[in-house]
Amino acid sequence: MTDPGAVLEAGQLVVGYGGAPVCGEVTAEVRAGQVLGVVGVNGAGKSTVVQTIAGRQPAISGDARILGLPVDPDSVHFRREVAAVFDDDLFFPSLSVTEHLLLVARGHSLADPGERVAAELEFFGLSTRADAIPDALSSGQRRRLLLAAGFIRPSALLILDEPEQRLDPGMRDALTGRIATYADGGGAVLLVTHDPRLLVRTATSALVIKDDVELVSAEEGAGFIAGL
Amino acid sequence: MWNWCPPRKGQASLLASDPVAGAPAGTALAGELVTFTRRHSRAYNRTQTSVGDAFADIYTSLVALGCAAAIAVSFVGGLRDEMTRDNSMAASLVAGSPLVLPAPLLWTLLTYGGLAAILTVARRLGPIAVTGAQGAWWLPLPLDRRPMVLPTFRRRMVSVGLGATLGYVPFSIVTDLAVDVAEHALAAATFGAASVAVLGIAGLLQLGLVAPRPGRAAALLALAPLALLPGMAAAGWPLAAAVLAGVVVLVPLLRRAGQVTATELVRGGNVSGHAASAVFFLDTNELLRSMAGTPRPAAGSRARRFYARMTPGPFAGLVRADVTAFLRLQPLLAVPLLWLAACLAVVVADAGLPAWLQLIFLLVAGCGVASGMGTVARRTALLPELDALLPLPRAAVRSSRLLMPALALAAWMTLLTGALALLGAGGPLLPAIGALAGIGMGAGCLRGATRPPADWTLPPVDTPMGPVPRAQLSSLLRGLDVTVLSMLPAGIALFVGQALPVLVMVQAAVSLAAVLVVLLSGTNPASGGSSRS
Repeated sequence: MTDPGAVLEAGQLVVGYGGAPVCGEVTAEVRAGQVLGVVGVNGAGKSTVVQTIAGRQPAISGDARILGLPVDPDSVHFRREVAAVFDDDLFFPSLSVTEHLLLVARGHSLADPGERVAAELEFFGLSTRADAIPDALSSGQRRRLLLAAGFIRPSALLILDEPEQRLDPGMRDALTGRIATYADGGGAVLLVTHDPRLLVRTATSALVIKDDVELVSAEEGAGFIAGL
Repeated sequence: MWNWCPPRKGQASLLASDPVAGAPAGTALAGELVTFTRRHSRAYNRTQTSVGDAFADIYTSLVALGCAAAIAVSFVGGLRDEMTRDNSMAASLVAGSPLVLPAPLLWTLLTYGGLAAILTVARRLGPIAVTGAQGAWWLPLPLDRRPMVLPTFRRRMVSVGLGATLGYVPFSIVTDLAVDVAEHALAAATFGAASVAVLGIAGLLQLGLVAPRPGRAAALLALAPLALLPGMAAAGWPLAAAVLAGVVVLVPLLRRAGQVTATELVRGGNVSGHAASAVFFLDTNELLRSMAGTPRPAAGSRARRFYARMTPGPFAGLVRADVTAFLRLQPLLAVPLLWLAACLAVVVADAGLPAWLQLIFLLVAGCGVASGMGTVARRTALLPELDALLPLPRAAVRSSRLLMPALALAAWMTLLTGALALLGAGGPLLPAIGALAGIGMGAGCLRGATRPPADWTLPPVDTPMGPVPRAQLSSLLRGLDVTVLSMLPAGIALFVGQALPVLVMVQAAVSLAAVLVVLLSGTNPASGGSSRS
């Protein structure tokens, strides 16, 4: 099933817990420059699908490949090519915002980590909190820090699980532009969202997660979110 | 504004621009990131801690350690004197036992048990693990993971080695009365080295090179020769053999430590963090929850037909649910059976153990088995809303939850006392006392499993011996009190050597009182977890 142009391929992927599927089979493909939205009602299994594709939990059956290779979060190839931003509120309690981002920048061998970190702090509105530890941040600021860590590093596939959560409208707009820029630069994005506006402005298509998973246009996906 | 402060002298810098994009993943860079994290964390923590606080912490810890050591030395000395006075079977609970276990075999079996416990706990805690933050920020980096996981594992090796060595000293002093200090030190060092080797074996299991079940079986088999070594340490070579075993296990493990999967590293870290927090707050229920592990998939479908049957009312439905949950969630029978075997081994050994010490061992075993039977009650205590769903009085809910632990503990105590009666202790009525005691122990198990966590904000009470955290101690002993009380008549029967009818009646009264106390008073089973929900 490997397509040389595909960044992410999922074929008859069944996901769930303890051998029990939470939704229908997922078959999808995301190529470079594309943004695939993932939508569904609460509990439909959206996060389970992306957690499985991100290698955080095993699939029940089926196949998922990143750049032609099976999903393996322990391989260096996977870690280099896949950036994933989930709502994990896990931080080093004694490291500042800047130091967290420097870890990621340096760990991915960015050429000028200091400047890249400064740029991300500026973009995500964290410059004034650069020396703060995570406990001193608001939940929205911690979310921004996680997003900054996802965007600062190079990757071929960016997985975002409801990135709009806890962000103010201005930051949501900035994030929309950032996702589009990332895709324009040749990246592929898997975007779980409940925000129809974010979906329409970024996604090229959308997977509706339910008992029978459907691939629809971004507009139809947005309509599903809005309950139309 | 960008206001990055340059790193201090000697501090790891992440601003060096030597590597460029696309550079291969490196061990050196991973090590640099780990050093960076540690140094900056330490620097921050130093700003939050005053010298006075640090001094007070160190002073208090040293004084507490000194007190604990003094108590241990005094206890071991007294015990050794008593065993020296009467090194025979005469003082045993089963003086005329047809079966006699040679003392060296008992000590070897107990040493094996200690090593097996280290293996089990090490496997639950990792032993190679990362914290949640390390898992989130280090593991996704495309770098060699060895520098990320090895520092913690090395610290664990040192802690286990030192702890096992120190812990074996009193055991060696009590179990080998004829040797000098140097030989005790040699035996303790041998056990410490064997323990480090066991930690390495647990690490090898984590690599997943062998399927879990055969891997565990092979590991338990490998412990047997290690358990023999401390008893022969006087010859000198066993220490060398234990060290060699450690080297043989640890060299390949340290080389491949970076290959442990992220899922496994994070799992170990989560369990370690949960357990450490439970130990810090002296919360045994949380500790047991943290070490429980996930139920085996095969157990998930147990009693499906039994659960699906129609029930005549809510109480029958609740009982059916609790029985099913017990069958699915309760860990294997191996632990209670091992405790049972250990109890029998202790009483039939010709080691000169005084009867009171054998009784204390039985008491500890009973408390250990009783605590382990509270899995369902501990789980349900976290979800008090579930108990409120059914139109049942609180006592009915508690009696449903009590049923299976009481039956299981009655069966365990009947087996234990029945075996002791067959060996010549207590007479034919002893199993009846044991069965009745088991029911009371079930009440203690439920009381302990549903106790609310200790409130550490309450001030200690002033006493002539200094401040005592009475409220916290009372909370910590909740459950154990009823279990111990329920075992007392059975213990008296064993001590006097005859299970008299009056003792059977006393045991019945005590167990009934224990059950009534737990059913009709105290906190709601739900309240144990209400503060966490």
